[in-house]
Amino acid sequence: MKYTPFWGCMISIKYPQFEASIRKTVDKLGIELADVEGFTCCPDPIYYQAKDKMEWLTIAGRNIAVAEEAGHDIVTCCSGCTSTLSEANHILKENTELREKVNQKLKKVGKEFKGTIRVRHIVTAIRDDIGIDKVAETVTKPLKGLRVGIHYGCHLLKPSAIMQVDDPDHPAILADLVRATGAEPVEHKLGLLCCGKACMSDEIPDRMVIDLIESIEAVKADCMGLICPTCFDEFDLGQIVLNRKYQKNFELPVIYYFQLLGLAQGLEPKELGLHFHKIKAGRVTEKVAAA
Amino acid sequence: MSGKLLANAVSERQNLKVTSTVKQVQLRQAEISFDFRQKLNDTLEGFRHNYCYQCGACVADCPAARYAPEYNPRLILLEALLGFEEELIGENSIIWLCTNCYNCFERCPQDVRPVEVIISLKNMSVERGTSPEEIAKISESVLKVGSTTFITPLVDRRRKELGLPSLKEIPVEELKEILED
Ligand code: SF4
Ligand code: SF4
Repeated sequence: MKYTPFWGCMISIKYPQFEASIRKTVDKLGIELADVEGFTCCPDPIYYQAKDKMEWLTIAGRNIAVAEEAGHDIVTCCSGCTSTLSEANHILKENTELREKVNQKLKKVGKEFKGTIRVRHIVTAIRDDIGIDKVAETVTKPLKGLRVGIHYGCHLLKPSAIMQVDDPDHPAILADLVRATGAEPVEHKLGLLCCGKACMSDEIPDRMVIDLIESIEAVKADCMGLICPTCFDEFDLGQIVLNRKYQKNFELPVIYYFQLLGLAQGLEPKELGLHFHKIKAGRVTEKVAAA
Repeated sequence: MSGKLLANAVSERQNLKVTSTVKQVQLRQAEISFDFRQKLNDTLEGFRHNYCYQCGACVADCPAARYAPEYNPRLILLEALLGFEEELIGENSIIWLCTNCYNCFERCPQDVRPVEVIISLKNMSVERGTSPEEIAKISESVLKVGSTTFITPLVDRRRKELGLPSLKEIPVEELKEILED
């Protein structure tokens, strides 16, 4: 399967270890990522959309048009990019008036949104086009005994009418993918709570992150598993900040799904950039080595 | 109609024990703006606020409401219906506490998509110059360099260490061109 990867700014610039973990794991699934030139920021669904929704739609429309020229479906790796590009793709396919408006702008640079491709988070494309079984087949070093507390994040699943990925109240996609690595997905009571990043308050997101980390600690998971770099930011760097600000002793490793898959495929922690994380992943790598 | 609804909105806000008396005084003096309603109707997805029948289904799963008792998406919709311009798009509006989680979008039986109405309100606040600094900071970065974060030598080093290709050029000029009127 050939896809156009949309890496987005958070991953390509801030967390390139996630890009590396995807590039190094998905070829074994028979996925070819054919990069294209000409993308900009998606743009981000929180700040830029708050600034001007019409501009947000225009920039997103341009990015999709760039991918349409290459002819393959887009796979995204960040829930923010997934939200922007999926929603924009949906709006521009459904609403001819808005599509015309956006295309008038795109015409100035010789581009056009045609509505010919799909946009999905790469985990969704893997589940639907490749299959979870195939993921399990690439595992050479099952992560036996590793307990992963999953954080779904909001924009992979919602709004479900547009995303059409899973039941947003009882999702299974990430638990199934984690299980395929040999690890054990563990339920915790706040698995569907938002990371709080978009809430512009000095203390509300803090309280949300504290509750989330404590929810995962309560079920004695070895790490948190997720698929969004913005959530990652809230939890990895976030724990360091919270430890200082509220005298906490949090040290829960936060691992991007494809880093888990990479470990299960026998890749070294360094190749997956685990050493760049603020919260050291020792707990995880030791358990994996012993498995 | 609005007399009774207005009284309800005021007393509901007070029932929420908004401790700041300043806020309550502001509320009593709030002027209802019909231009504001018209403007909201003309903002992308803003028209949906008209479909709200105040059932409150959007509240139970709202994390902002759970963590901030003064926040309530149903009341935001009520204030939109009443045309409370200052409350919604003045300085320090409560709308900025929304986490963009889309739970209200999932729950609303009227397809109001409260979060989308809130985003429309944010657009109006930006136009009025009352939005938080971060909005301008991040969107300016997108327009200036094409991304929300800056590329530093450390980024290049990390990418190299991980065996990743160097970053592609971002066509910022093209971005500016499509946004011009
Ligand atoms: S769920 Fe919908 S109709 Fe009910 S109060 Fe909220 S926005 Fe209004
Ligand atoms: S999107 Fe905003 S208003 Fe809607 S449920 Fe989430 S926090 Fe509440």
